[in-house]
Amino acid sequence: MPENSTSSDGFSTLPISIPPLPSYPVHATHYIYLRRNAPRIATADDSRSLYLSNIPTDSTEAHFRALFTNLVGAGRFESITFEQDKRSAKISHEPAQAERLAKHHKKRKREDEELQYRKEEAAAELPETWSRELHRSGSSAVALLADEKSVDSILKAVKKLTKPKKYPVWGEGLKDGVPVFGAQWLMAHNKLSYPGNDVVQAVVDTYFTVFNRKEEEAHQLAKRLRNEPDEDGFVMVTRGGRSAPARRDEAEEARQKMLDKQQKKKDEMQNFYRFQLREKRKAEQLELVKKFDEDKRKVQAMRERRGRFRPEM
Amino acid sequence: MESNSPKRRKLDHTHTGPIFESVASSSMGASGSSAFVLETDELLKEVKLDYSKAFPGIDQTLRQFKEAIEGLEQYGPVPIDEASATWEKTNRTAIPYPDPKPAKNCPYKVSFEKPTHINVVGSYTSQTMVKSQSNFAVDMIVVMPATLFSEKDYRDYRYFYKRAFFLAYITDALRRKFSDLDFTYTNFNGNALLPVLIARPQAQSSKTQTTGKRESQGKQINYEIRILPNAPEGYFPAAKLSATSNSIRRNGSDESKDSKIPTPFYNSTLKSESQFVSYLKLLHRTSNTCASFKDACILGRTWLQQRGFGGDVADGGFGHFHWAVLMALLLQTGGRKGEPILSPSLHASQLFKATLQYLASSNLHKKLVVLGPKMTTPDVVRQTGPVLYDAAREINILFNMTTWSAFMLNEHAKLSITAINDPQVDQFDSLFITKVNQPLQMFDLFININVPSNAAQTLFGVSDGRSPIVAFAENIYRTLKKALGERAKLINIQVPKPTAWKVTPSSRKSKTESILVGIMCDPAKASQGREFGPLYEQKKDAAKFREFWGDISELWQFPSGEIVESVNWNEHSPLGYFGICQAIIRYILKSRLKLTDDDLEFHGQEFSNIISLSPADKVSFGAVKAAFSVFEKDVRELGDLPLSVRQIAPIGPEMRYASLRSPTPNQRKQGVTPINAVLSFEASGKWPENIASIQRAKIALLLQIAHSLEEAKGGIKTHLGLEDAERETENLAFLDIIYESGFSFRLRVHSDQEETLLDRQTKDQTLDRHVRTEAAALLSSVRWRSAILPLHNQTISTYCTRFPALSPSIRLAKHWFNSHRLGNHFNEPLIELFVLQAFLQPHPFPIPSSASTGFLRTLLMLASYDWREEPMIIDPSDSLSATERLDISTRLEAWRKIDANMNRTTLFVATPFDVTGIAYTQNLPKVVAMRMTALARSASKATKDKGIELDPRTLFQSGLRDYDVIIYLSAKAIKSVLRDDGTPTDVDADTFEVNREAVLAEIARIGGDLIEKIDVKDGR
Repeated sequence: MPENSTSSDGFSTLPISIPPLPSYPVHATHYIYLRRNAPRIATADDSRSLYLSNIPTDSTEAHFRALFTNLVGAGRFESITFEQDKRSAKISHEPAQAERLAKHHKKRKREDEELQYRKEEAAAELPETWSRELHRSGSSAVALLADEKSVDSILKAVKKLTKPKKYPVWGEGLKDGVPVFGAQWLMAHNKLSYPGNDVVQAVVDTYFTVFNRKEEEAHQLAKRLRNEPDEDGFVMVTRGGRSAPARRDEAEEARQKMLDKQQKKKDEMQNFYRFQLREKRKAEQLELVKKFDEDKRKVQAMRERRGRFRPEM
Repeated sequence: MESNSPKRRKLDHTHTGPIFESVASSSMGASGSSAFVLETDELLKEVKLDYSKAFPGIDQTLRQFKEAIEGLEQYGPVPIDEASATWEKTNRTAIPYPDPKPAKNCPYKVSFEKPTHINVVGSYTSQTMVKSQSNFAVDMIVVMPATLFSEKDYRDYRYFYKRAFFLAYITDALRRKFSDLDFTYTNFNGNALLPVLIARPQAQSSKTQTTGKRESQGKQINYEIRILPNAPEGYFPAAKLSATSNSIRRNGSDESKDSKIPTPFYNSTLKSESQFVSYLKLLHRTSNTCASFKDACILGRTWLQQRGFGGDVADGGFGHFHWAVLMALLLQTGGRKGEPILSPSLHASQLFKATLQYLASSNLHKKLVVLGPKMTTPDVVRQTGPVLYDAAREINILFNMTTWSAFMLNEHAKLSITAINDPQVDQFDSLFITKVNQPLQMFDLFININVPSNAAQTLFGVSDGRSPIVAFAENIYRTLKKALGERAKLINIQVPKPTAWKVTPSSRKSKTESILVGIMCDPAKASQGREFGPLYEQKKDAAKFREFWGDISELWQFPSGEIVESVNWNEHSPLGYFGICQAIIRYILKSRLKLTDDDLEFHGQEFSNIISLSPADKVSFGAVKAAFSVFEKDVRELGDLPLSVRQIAPIGPEMRYASLRSPTPNQRKQGVTPINAVLSFEASGKWPENIASIQRAKIALLLQIAHSLEEAKGGIKTHLGLEDAERETENLAFLDIIYESGFSFRLRVHSDQEETLLDRQTKDQTLDRHVRTEAAALLSSVRWRSAILPLHNQTISTYCTRFPALSPSIRLAKHWFNSHRLGNHFNEPLIELFVLQAFLQPHPFPIPSSASTGFLRTLLMLASYDWREEPMIIDPSDSLSATERLDISTRLEAWRKIDANMNRTTLFVATPFDVTGIAYTQNLPKVVAMRMTALARSASKATKDKGIELDPRTLFQSGLRDYDVIIYLSAKAIKSVLRDDGTPTDVDADTFEVNREAVLAEIARIGGDLIEKIDVKDGR
């Protein structure tokens, strides 16, 4: 089966031999599928990266470094990004106003300022709770290699792997030890889940210093933009004008009030004219007939499912 | 809509069948009633029997019987002792004399003469037999000529001796003529005075012995012909056979005393002998005047049958015949001024409902009911046991019914009436389809009593013809009823069924028999430690009380100064109501009926023992609640929080009497997670407008609370824990608050702002699809924790106090799910809802009153639930309107339309606080749901089949046979990990499609030293 899918999507199959374990003394083979990375939105590094799918759940960067070293020799592998890392990286921590403004007004940042921000953001990260991350089974990763040539040579090396004895062994040649799984891993998790109130306090404090500053900046920017026409001569309308905008819940309330008023007006005019009463009665009768038909259908359906009308013995 | 005008309606009402008009005008209101009518019509179609197919050649056999009996020559008269001595021997046919056997020196003679007429009667002729009957009896009456009897024959069993000989003579003749039939004797309706002859086709009976059930399901059914000799119509003087007169003189030596004791059973039996024909006429006449009478009889028959009622005294003595007669009488009379209660123009389902209503409201078990012309002396009919006196025929038609079954009948009728009147749910199934006659589903406590062989004679003096075992049971019932009082809601006694015996003379062995008493307790009243009697000053009552209880009765003074008689059972109260009831029963049966402990065998506690439920658990649940309110007060008292606290809602199962183990203080040591709670603040504009930042703000708030709590109160420790979150937008942290002297709590913060932002995101069409689905998932988890769970907690907690048996039932059900390894698929709240539903919709049973009934009823419900078609709507306070219910059904239909294979949505459970129906059942694979149903089904089947013999432990034993992969965890390694993070213990094979070995190797690597061994089933 793994051989069949090799050519179809341009994927090559990389078989990996999994050594037996005391609890499961079986020699297994894991298949990773890989191809040149070609994402929908191209980036600069696409030519020298590989797209891997169905990676083992316990993969780490060290594992892949060892794996590629085994295949094509040292020095070709640079880094690897796992599917899950990417997703969490996307989430924005910007205050809402800053985000809104950013759509219209690109702010240039100085290099040293940016570095400073990155540092602060790193300090605002919460500590990890797992000593080693697990990946979803069947998930993917993108490996970044030294150059385009390395990609070719890896793909070539993969093609050559035909004899099961030559398959690279998973976890072989790991240079720096990776944390172990099992009871220890769970115990470590239990410990890491409680980093201590002080540590978290510090993190949160840093976070909000940054957040407050950003908010302040956005506020200032908004103030400035209010008075500044852009190149077409338009002045952007921003929040915080002379009269403060209505709060969301107030607006909600007002809307509800209006709806209530309308409803009340409607209710007053009901059952007033004779034709209304007549129509109402008619509707009720129709409803009854509809219900009867519905029941009939239901019973019919019940009869079709066998045994519904047979008393249990 | 012309046909709906009132005029048309009047004209239409003679029309039979389900006409729309009659539906609309029915008293039950529009909703559900028309469905009910349609369903009953379907039922009637389904159960009706095709007579020619079911009874091949029976008409011919009956005709031959008739000819054979009519062709018999006159015999006798011969003296009775000669008949029993010589006739029996020469013909090798037993004469089925009732007990006591005729004395040797009796002067009267027995004989046979040509019967005046022979007729086929009963449900065969009225065509009211149904397919689901267990056996089909075709009744043939043979009316004995009046010349056989003399005037005084109503006395001293004389009639019955003569009748026995008459029957034996017919038997002898038929046996010779029809060698292809099997003949046996049995007692008519378990009445020992009335032996009857049974003829069965031979080939069939031998087949049924070998293949058993298969035969009864086949087309040819298990029928029998019963030959019932009876007296000429109206032969016996009713005046001499009233309930107060005595007809048995020869018992005992002291004749003058005996003659005062009335023998109502004997008298009624005798009267009934001469009324066969008149009842036949009555039923025939009624079915001619009332078109739907027969159908209503079939409905009644099905209803009774599903509840285990039958004409036989072992089945309660209220069978199809009694139902039909009652209905026929109610079509003539029954009202306050003698006007008919039922109208012949009603539809069958309406006749059925009205009769049920009559049974529910007439209180047959309490007062005597007279139907027909007014009686001058109602005392004449008064007797113990239920009385339904047919004044026109001067007989109590329920003379063979036992007191307890009258109670049961009344209870069932009441339950069914409430079920019919419930507009929300279609109760058709509970009325006719569900088998209600399952003692384990009904009763909480069982006692198996061995009947002492000499019970009848020694203890109860004169017998009036009842079978001794029934008389004994009647006695037990009265004693227990009095002793248990309000502790027992219902007491039922199952007496052994009478067996048929051979027609050839042989000694009938009397083996020790046992009766089964089932008791439904009232948990609240039954756990009362002290029994209070009458005031000391009421000398007469007090003396009675003392006489009943014997030495253990004592005086008790209330604080108010009143002194009452009482009995103390407090020493048994640690065992709960079960222990108390058991002690009472043991004591009273020993002191009043001389039954030793060896004769009694108690059942019913086994279920609670499985997870060692004890009455003391209630106290520890109370302690948690108290601890929580202290905690809540502590948090509310904190002054320096930036926002004001709106609510701290507990969401842990410990806080709603529903955790599997009863909570103990300082749980952290044992690796149990603290009690969960959600803190929500008053709405505020201070929350940042960014979901990820809100999560951080929550942490800041938690830290603030932690800081202030530790500062303000001594003996509190706090730990901020990080959630195992995948994204920054999820809830990131919780706060563990540990009271050194008590319980610990885990607090999470809820933010309104987060909910609004997420809601906006899910609805924002400009965002990417994956962003919206992600937001929807987050929103549902936020709502689950902060909106649904607090309300759920409140609901379950309320109903646990309302139904005392709910809490133990929930815990037992959770244990069941866990022991079948379904616990990590079904979240605890869902299981709680299942059990709650079994309590809220108990029909056709009463509300469960013990852990075992609550648990078994839950399984029964799960076993038969049709998840594809029916949404489970749990609406404890009836707060959902009809339209909301309809919306829920529509939503289910929509789900089923999108996903017909039920790959994503399997179970659909809606509550007033979650009308979407899927909040409780997310991520529940179909395989798991199917396994639950299959397990519940087999458990319910075992409960039904084995009855009282069931060992409850077997329900909790789960085989590993069905799993393809089994992972054994190392107990040692687990112990070293403080908290188990839900490492799966077994994996369904369906998830592996590609490379099982590699996946297993992965699991093995991750598990590391935790996993001892992975077993893989071969062959797949």
